[in-house]
Amino acid sequence: MSLTHARAILPAVGTAHAAPLDDAGALAALSTGCFRFSPWVAPCGADGIWIDATGVSHLFGGEDRMVARIARVLAKSGLTARIAMAATPGAAWALARHGRAPVCVSTSTHDLDPLPVMALRLDAGTARSLWRVGIKTIAALKAIPRATLPLRFGKLLVTRLDQALGHAPESIDCIVPQEARRRAIVFADPISTAEDIRRCTEKLVRGLCEDLEKRQEGARKLDLVFMRTDNSHQAIRVGAGRPSRDLKHILKLFAEHMDTVAPGFGIDKAVLTAWKYAPLFPTQTDSDGGGQHAGDLAQLTDHLANRLGESAVYRLAPAATHIPERAQNRAAPAEDIPASAWPTCLPRPVRMFSPPEPVEVVSLLPDHPPARFVWRGTLRKVRCADGPERVCGEWWLNRDEVAEIRDYFRVEDQDGARYWLFRDNRLTPNQSHLWFLHGVFA
Amino acid sequence: MTGYAELQVTTNYSFLRGASYPRELVMQAADLGLSAIAVTDRNSLAGVVKAYAAATDHKKKTGQEIKFITGCRLDLACGRSLLCYPQNREAYSRLVRLLTLGKRRVEKGQCHLTYDDVATHGEGQIFIALADAALGDFPDESLRNFLTRLKGDFRHQTYLALTRRFRPNETPRLEALAELARDCRIPTVATNDVLFHKSDRRILQDVVTCIRLGKTIDTLGHDREWSADRFLKPPAEMARLFSRYPEAVEHTQAIAARCSFSLGELAYQYPDENLIPELTAQEALEKLTHEGAAERYPQGVPEKVKRQIAYEMAIIGKLKYAPYFLTVWRIVKQARKIGILCQGRGSAANSAVCYCLGVTPINPDEQKLLFERFISEDRGEPPDIDVDFEHERREEIIQWIYNTYGRDHAAMTATVIHYRSRRAVREVAKALALPEDIAAGLVAAIWGWSESGVGEDRARALGLDPNDWRLKLLIRLSKQLIGFPRHLSQHPGGFVISKDRLDDLVPIENASMEDRTVIEWDKDDIETLSMMKVDVLGLGMLGCLRRAFDLLRDHKGIHQTIAGIPRDDPALYDMLCKADSVGVFQVESRAQMNMLPRLKPRCYYDLVVEVAIVRPGPIQGGMVHPYLKRRQKIDPETYPSEELRAVLTRTMGVPLFQEQAMEIAIVAAKFTPSEADALRRAMATFRNDGRIHEFADRFIGGMTRNGYEKDFAERCFEQIKGFGTYGFPESHAASFAILVCASSWIKCHHPDVFLCAILNAQPMGFYQPAQLVRDAREHGVTVRPVDVNASRWDSVLELDPGNPKGYLAVRLGFRLITGMKEEPVAALVAARERPYVSPRDLWRRSGVAVTQVVHLAEGDAFASLGFGRRDAIWSVKALRDGSLPLFDAAPSGGPEFAEPEAVLRPLTLGGEVAEDYVHLALSLRAHPLSFLREKLRKHGWMSLDSLKNKKDGAYVNIAGLVLVRQRPGTATGVVFVTMEDEFTHANLVVWSTVFERYRSEVMTSRLLACSGKVQTEGNVVHVVVRELFDLSHWLKALAQDPEEMSVALPGAAAEMRLASRDFH
Repeated sequence: MSLTHARAILPAVGTAHAAPLDDAGALAALSTGCFRFSPWVAPCGADGIWIDATGVSHLFGGEDRMVARIARVLAKSGLTARIAMAATPGAAWALARHGRAPVCVSTSTHDLDPLPVMALRLDAGTARSLWRVGIKTIAALKAIPRATLPLRFGKLLVTRLDQALGHAPESIDCIVPQEARRRAIVFADPISTAEDIRRCTEKLVRGLCEDLEKRQEGARKLDLVFMRTDNSHQAIRVGAGRPSRDLKHILKLFAEHMDTVAPGFGIDKAVLTAWKYAPLFPTQTDSDGGGQHAGDLAQLTDHLANRLGESAVYRLAPAATHIPERAQNRAAPAEDIPASAWPTCLPRPVRMFSPPEPVEVVSLLPDHPPARFVWRGTLRKVRCADGPERVCGEWWLNRDEVAEIRDYFRVEDQDGARYWLFRDNRLTPNQSHLWFLHGVFA
Repeated sequence: MTGYAELQVTTNYSFLRGASYPRELVMQAADLGLSAIAVTDRNSLAGVVKAYAAATDHKKKTGQEIKFITGCRLDLACGRSLLCYPQNREAYSRLVRLLTLGKRRVEKGQCHLTYDDVATHGEGQIFIALADAALGDFPDESLRNFLTRLKGDFRHQTYLALTRRFRPNETPRLEALAELARDCRIPTVATNDVLFHKSDRRILQDVVTCIRLGKTIDTLGHDREWSADRFLKPPAEMARLFSRYPEAVEHTQAIAARCSFSLGELAYQYPDENLIPELTAQEALEKLTHEGAAERYPQGVPEKVKRQIAYEMAIIGKLKYAPYFLTVWRIVKQARKIGILCQGRGSAANSAVCYCLGVTPINPDEQKLLFERFISEDRGEPPDIDVDFEHERREEIIQWIYNTYGRDHAAMTATVIHYRSRRAVREVAKALALPEDIAAGLVAAIWGWSESGVGEDRARALGLDPNDWRLKLLIRLSKQLIGFPRHLSQHPGGFVISKDRLDDLVPIENASMEDRTVIEWDKDDIETLSMMKVDVLGLGMLGCLRRAFDLLRDHKGIHQTIAGIPRDDPALYDMLCKADSVGVFQVESRAQMNMLPRLKPRCYYDLVVEVAIVRPGPIQGGMVHPYLKRRQKIDPETYPSEELRAVLTRTMGVPLFQEQAMEIAIVAAKFTPSEADALRRAMATFRNDGRIHEFADRFIGGMTRNGYEKDFAERCFEQIKGFGTYGFPESHAASFAILVCASSWIKCHHPDVFLCAILNAQPMGFYQPAQLVRDAREHGVTVRPVDVNASRWDSVLELDPGNPKGYLAVRLGFRLITGMKEEPVAALVAARERPYVSPRDLWRRSGVAVTQVVHLAEGDAFASLGFGRRDAIWSVKALRDGSLPLFDAAPSGGPEFAEPEAVLRPLTLGGEVAEDYVHLALSLRAHPLSFLREKLRKHGWMSLDSLKNKKDGAYVNIAGLVLVRQRPGTATGVVFVTMEDEFTHANLVVWSTVFERYRSEVMTSRLLACSGKVQTEGNVVHVVVRELFDLSHWLKALAQDPEEMSVALPGAAAEMRLASRDFH
């Protein structure tokens, strides 16, 4: 069914974009979680998980109880699951997807008989071919002489049937659980002096930096958590503009906040986690020691940002819009913005007022530049001017801007000072125009 | 005050650049008092004729002239641009050839031109160089070189444009340009680079820019047009803006004066048809007409017809249209020669000459002809002849025309694809960065070809806030965009043929279809310039009739033609009065079937009325019921006035045809004939520029002043509005009525032949093969299943000795099997010298690919060999294409290699029927519902024949398979659903409030149950729906073997082809 068709039936139907990568990620995470049931786990297709229960079910008190346990755990995390345990992976697959009960433990291969042939992990084409000649169930398939099958439906059909019935072996590759970028120290005797805290921090950071180096990664966000003996904890979070595994740099970032740690009755555990990280490859320094400046600047902005707050340090990036006050955005200090990104044909003042300051202006209509104007109580006579530069409001943002048209003028006064003024072309209730001074040129 | 002419104007025919129609721009220029306006679309002349027509109309209406200059903006491959204006006819031809050259080089919709191309076609043109390569940049060396080159090549034909951009440093930029011009000794000229006619189109212009670039308004950034001042300005304002360069403003006047070329000079020449060397075209036409007349009237040409021919000949001679008639005659003759049925439709059917030439089928002796509808001296319009050909053989005629007249002289006309509601809403929503869901939700409610956009109520119904600014913008802007041209496409069959090279008249570009070339103008433009057009159209019914005539000849020895079919056969009218019209041309639709028993046609002219009456025109005008009442003698036949008696007497005082509505405008509202025609055309054109109200006032006002009732006047006007797009002129209805006659006659007397022919002409018409077969069987025709040993590609007739009515039997053809291809069938039939004994035997002997043998098995074509569906598929599954030498060596027909026998479960009867529908879309075994009858009864759903005995107003619960869903444009919001079961048909009426509630049931159910109220009118029964239930899932049970009931094939289940047809 196409989306258009679906909407013709139910116009309000909700939709979400398919995100197969996200789905696969979530399934992998869930698989990792299943290590609690068995050491042998693997995701299965796009919607399933294999758990090899060989030799582990006794730990849960038997097969039935193990299956029930898995169902309970998954239900607790809000997942609806169908679970089957059987003698072969193929049979478990079939029962989990096509069996009657949502949770079952199969004891006999005959359990498969009433299931549709689809349950044998067949592609849709093969299943349809079988269906068309009236072979719809596994029982019906078993009744057909084996020798006639491969020629008509391919070898895989027989293989799948044998795998499900246990006549042919099947192996499953287990996944390797992923390591977190984390270091921890547990103290036999709780620590509380500033010196101890500093030393343990340094040890943690050094260890983590070594881990990161092995992985060729650098940390962007780090959490340092101190567990206190009274079961409360204290945390420090720092960030770096560029990925870093520089011991000194990271220690400096933490040092800024170290005095906020109150050990109370003592700290018995410290954990350092890099929860945001990015690839960082070793770089060669220039032989003359240059090439460090970028790094220095990055470290400086990191320090400033850590001290003043992240939003306090930024650089300007051009924004593609006609409205002058919107023509620049704040960008992260580390972002690379070439000078060529700024439009060259639009002379803009170095300093813009926000909001623009109202001025009294004497000028000729309809679009002549001002002859003189009063700004901040001082009369300025215009000696020369360029304009108008006509700028239209961005009508799509709100209805006030539909009619907004500004005429900008660059003017120079008798003292050689240069200003940027505009007239709002919308008429005021008393049939005049408002003028504003939007900026001054250097 | 100096005058000003705007020489740089982009219309919305520079697709998705300009934001105003050519007409709007011309009218605005006239209002502002500009002395002239030029249209300069990008590498295109697509908009110029419309602008020219607007300027001509303006002069006619007000007496004031606004000079229109034909022009074009040439965007060269090097990045520079030029405005080009031909000064005279010769220069115009050069420009057209230049554009044709650029367009034929590249794909459709593009144009590749170099400076050298321009140089070789530059004689007699005036060029204005543009300096807008980059945003308000200063002139540079490359511009200087360009100007020097232009000046060297074209001397005094060259200018440089000065345009205000309202950007920083404008004064120095203009000064630098003026200085550069002085250096190069090129005069400057002021332009405003207009993109829209009034300032309020600015927003729409931003939106079309977004659509063109595929961006959203938020990301459009610097691609948004900088200057908001791209609208037409009055001369005084232009003079003020260019006060430093008064000569630049004056030069606009000089250029306007030098461009004396007008599109009106394009003297179109009919192609020479030197068919009879020693005679002139007129003489040749007379000779052919008289020969034709002698053939048409073997007993001698009646006096009335002779007079009519003489009268028409005189006018044709006076207007010099003879070559046109000869061209059409030649095309029709060619079609006859290669055995393609064809028939003229439209106003040409009003001509006795056309009848004698064999172009049209209306006998002037039997029918009153209104030749003036076809050709009139007053209107000075070229005649327009539309000819229908057999649908599937039309391409042969098209290629014959290209080959006979040559690609330089014949080309297809363009059709301008306009924005309609759906696309407008969708694309504006995208430009406004609204989520796709919203657009899709809004669009979902629009049926088909709506032109009214979406409203706030629709947004509210979706749970959206109609006060949201972007949503408001979407609703408003999409309404503005509706009607805008979006791109040029190819007209389905309009041909322009000329004596002179066509690329002297109009640019020609490649069509997206191979072997087709298309001109840049559409049919309105062609009409404006009095060029000849022949419509070569396709009609499925003609193909069906030709097949039927062939079958009659081959199997029954009857030689029949369309013209030879009796039009007064009572049996035929008896059949139609019973609404027994499944498959009959035009009158087979549900609405027509309802009308037939009420109208009770008894003669040919009744059929003409029948065809015309079930159309939006008469329905919107409320003319249907008055006519029926008068026919049934319930109401007296009265006339609104004596002067209208002559107009309306044919239709008992009720206007039903387009011609009559026009005549009312002339007689009662005192329109001149050309005004009436303008009125008709204003209704027909898609977007009416607001002229509709002007006409409404004049029409209704005129009639009331002349003493007619306002109500009647309003109804007449409503009718004209309805006629506009869907109207049937009488002559057209008359031509169609002949096909109604022909198809009814065959259906009535030879239902076997009719079924066979119509099955072979599919897809066509209103009904699916399943209904056609069912109808024929009800009439006593034996229908036999597809069989590998008997069928051919087409369905064929077979002897049926036991048939009580003496009909032949119809053997279904392989073409009915889904997925079957024609060539393998040819191989299969060729290798059938003795019957096939098994699927394997067929595969080996015929060499048909396995996939095709599978289709045969699925279509149950091996049944007569003792192979049921499953057995056949099972044995086909073991076959592999490609040579297997080992098996080839084995004697064919010998024992198949030893394989253990597999016992397959046979299909149930219900399963067979379901499979029939999946693979053949019909079943000869049983109706699917007969298997569900018991279950339906248990749930209280009655069969459809139970409606017969119900009284008006009774409540019923019925269920049936959905055949047709129809939502006529005439009945706002009502959906008609036609259902069938194993007994009969029934019609449901779903009012809009009910529809909204049961949208999903109406739109998707295949098996539908309904509770509602019976509504009878005469012997027509409807059920007005109260509640609906989707029972489609019951159909799945049909295919199921009770023992396998628990098993379902998820997702992949093959859908039963209980196809319904949806008409909007």
